Amino acid sequence: MRDFSLKSTITYKLYRQIILQLEDFLSTIGDIVIYGKEVLSLIFKRELDWKAIIEQCARFGVSSLPITLSIVGMSTVIVAMQVAGEMVKQGAGNYVGMLVTILTVREEGIIMSGFAIISMIGSSIASEIATMRVTEQIDAIKVLKVNPIRYLFVPRVLSGILMMPPVLVVASLVGIIGGGVAAHLASELSYRAYFESVWTGLFIKDINVAILKSIVFGFTIALISCVCGYNAKGGARGVGIATTKAVVWSFVGIVLWDLLFSIIFFF
Amino acid sequence: MGIEVKNLTKKFDNKTVINDISFKVESGEILAIVGFSGSGKSTVLKLICGLIEKDSGIIETSGDIAMVFQYSALIDSLNVEDNIAFALKERKDLRKKYTERQIKNIVKEKLALVGLSGIENKYPSELSGGMQKRVSFARAIVTSPNIILYDEPTAGLDPVSSTLIEDYIVRLKEETHAASIVVTHQMSTIMRTADKIIMLYNGNVVFTGTPQDLMRQDTPYTKQFVTASLEGPMTMLQN
Repeated sequence: MRDFSLKSTITYKLYRQIILQLEDFLSTIGDIVIYGKEVLSLIFKRELDWKAIIEQCARFGVSSLPITLSIVGMSTVIVAMQVAGEMVKQGAGNYVGMLVTILTVREEGIIMSGFAIISMIGSSIASEIATMRVTEQIDAIKVLKVNPIRYLFVPRVLSGILMMPPVLVVASLVGIIGGGVAAHLASELSYRAYFESVWTGLFIKDINVAILKSIVFGFTIALISCVCGYNAKGGARGVGIATTKAVVWSFVGIVLWDLLFSIIFFF
Repeated sequence: MGIEVKNLTKKFDNKTVINDISFKVESGEILAIVGFSGSGKSTVLKLICGLIEKDSGIIETSGDIAMVFQYSALIDSLNVEDNIAFALKERKDLRKKYTERQIKNIVKEKLALVGLSGIENKYPSELSGGMQKRVSFARAIVTSPNIILYDEPTAGLDPVSSTLIEDYIVRLKEETHAASIVVTHQMSTIMRTADKIIMLYNGNVVFTGTPQDLMRQDTPYTKQFVTASLEGPMTMLQN
């Protein structure tokens, strides 16, 4: 017999799906705020396990470095190759270094590092914690009266805060140097002309804002990844959903921060 | 006193999964909670140890609670020693109480108690299901709890490993004098470990008694459970 009830209609199902998505969206924002507050409170109370923090720093900084350097380096090389020839032709060769440096320090270095860290570290944090959730390891931690936020979140978030700035500095340096090599090869611009112009457009404010941004990005990526993993439900499918959600939310999170920083400091 | 539960009720969405149940477990006693899958047995344990919030009723417990999970729930990034010592190293009130040397000795002692000396450096993935279960026993008793909850302790184990686990449950009761609750639907576990039994069906207590009372099959519920019959008051569809 056909079901003619309200609940069987496509419109009802569509609205229900929208409401569920909205509910999930709002509850995720709520959780990020609540857990973020708790993590910061534990950090300020110095509830820290330095052994775990060092382990996570190695994972955040060292393990991610090859891929971060490759992505930032290659994207800067691509930009330098594309603009150097044209700028030299227009007689603006002396500004290539400046342009690449401003672009790398203000934007490309940090956003590309963020994307690399999200893909490599954020996804791994989310899937690790989600697996712990669905295999009852987090329940076991709670029954043993250990605070799971202190044990799981604090080392990961703190390592994000501590390691993102050095990763950014190294990646930006590699990017700027790579840009110089690319500009030289693409347009025969001398290294001297390139590296002299590097300093022309770079101000202390740019470096400070980039460092501050990297700290905020590190905090955001690690926190969102932890929260998404922690709230995982179900089995293997739940781990997959949590990991995807962590990656997507982290991308959106850092782009929103980037926009906010641009409005505050450069608008 | 170990555990006293009075008029406990829990709903998920609008479905009542635990309906006004009451029972008491004294120190040194083992209560088996039995019933078909989906009858609310594991929910009772999660309510007692605080993993989920009750809707109404009273749960009175004395002292520390430990739980052995169905699939052991060992932390897979830690080796056996760190898993057993987890509460001693990470719990706020215990973190600075023991030295490294003392913790190592406690771990050795607990591992010996469950018959697994010398595996401190192995990781959970390197152990069999039965060994993982015994390590989780050692982790549970490391803080000398007054209450131990076992969620399907013999599920998925071969008969010999099941017998071994059942023996350890009784042995731990004798050595720790803890009040214990064993959630199971395996007859061997019920008969070899329980002092008393409650049977749940759709969140309601449908039988209370001893293992001997259960085996007498005096009620339609006990008869259906013991004979594993499809005929009787408990239908799987309702689960």
